[in-house]
Amino acid sequence: MNVDITGAKVFFTIPTGIPVMGDILISETLVVSWIVMILITGLCIWLTRDLKVENISKRQAVAEMLVEMANNFVIGNMGEKFRHMIPFVAALFTTSVVSNLISLIGLRSPTTDLSTEAAWAVVVFIMITSQKIKAGGIGGYLKGFTQPIPVLTPFNVLSELATPVSMACRHFGNILSGVVINGLLYAALAVASSALFGLLPGVLGDVLAQIPFLSVGVPAVLSVYFDWFSGVMQAFIFCMLTVMYIANAAEG
Amino acid sequence: MQVQELVTIIPWTFVAQICNLFIQMYLIKRFLFKPVNAMLDKRRALADAQIREAEEAKSQAQAIKSEYEANMLEAKNKASEILASAQKTAAAQSEEVLREASRQAAAMKAKAEGDIAQEKRKAVNEIKNEIGGMAMEIAGKVIGREISEDDHTKLIDEFIANVGEVS
Repeated sequence: MNVDITGAKVFFTIPTGIPVMGDILISETLVVSWIVMILITGLCIWLTRDLKVENISKRQAVAEMLVEMANNFVIGNMGEKFRHMIPFVAALFTTSVVSNLISLIGLRSPTTDLSTEAAWAVVVFIMITSQKIKAGGIGGYLKGFTQPIPVLTPFNVLSELATPVSMACRHFGNILSGVVINGLLYAALAVASSALFGLLPGVLGDVLAQIPFLSVGVPAVLSVYFDWFSGVMQAFIFCMLTVMYIANAAEG
Repeated sequence: MQVQELVTIIPWTFVAQICNLFIQMYLIKRFLFKPVNAMLDKRRALADAQIREAEEAKSQAQAIKSEYEANMLEAKNKASEILASAQKTAAAQSEEVLREASRQAAAMKAKAEGDIAQEKRKAVNEIKNEIGGMAMEIAGKVIGREISEDDHTKLIDEFIANVGEVS
């Protein structure tokens, strides 16, 4: 039995002819990303429907709680002057969480494509760098690489570049590992199931061996870790690192 | 169906995901943060207004209370003033009444004394005249002739004065 774990499916290819960029691939990643965006936006609209000042509904309480949580998270970690970062961090977190958890309904989550995390990490890296330049000027930023001694410059450049790479790969690796392990587990359980029920005599054994009974229930236990815990945890870590790096960069 | 590699970066997907992230940011800002923050601001303004109103009401109540207390104090003072003045007036009146009574009594006494003196004088004059007449008569009878009353008036008066002293 072969277990095949592949990347996202490509639905269309739009040729562009641009040398480095290559063709536009309308892949599962993009389609599910749009579904995620529609879900989040729909949820936002639903949550903020007929807001009231007094005598609020449960729905409004949830909306207020989410806003308060985002405010507290960003302002608590970055300070009052980063108030404008709240929607960005909130978008990053919700997109990440919903993307990770959307695998629960059988869609391939966009976060199993390194392009997604790389995109986020590069955006964060640009923000970090712009904050550093804002804090110390371009001279100060470049001089920062030669600290504490000029010999360390290559290592400093490397560690600077390692930030987005590690952020992207950490998130991607955790989500992908879940997909890989789940794929292996389903395959293994199917094999075990057919072996187990194949022991039954006659036609009954042949029929039952085709149905992977063991796949029911057992993967759910692992799903608690790989989908729920890991998904939420990685989104949180990604946002926490974003917030921390940007706040540190602003301090100089 | 064509399939991507498991670990790869597709440039256009990468660009699209950056755009998606910013579009998502705008959507969340527009549909979650803007309405909720507007509502929270409104609520904060309402709460502030209510606190301000309560403070105003409190200060008003305080003012009313102090006014009431001042009024009460004034009324108390006025009452005690009225009481004191009434007492004073009463004392003055009673004194006046007493004085008046004593004055009246004195006047009555004086008048009575005057009356008595007058009566006495009148009586004395009557008696004087009578006695004078009688004396004249007696003397006339004794002497046998008329004695001019006018001639002896002085004599008679002396006599009467003596009688008066004796009596």
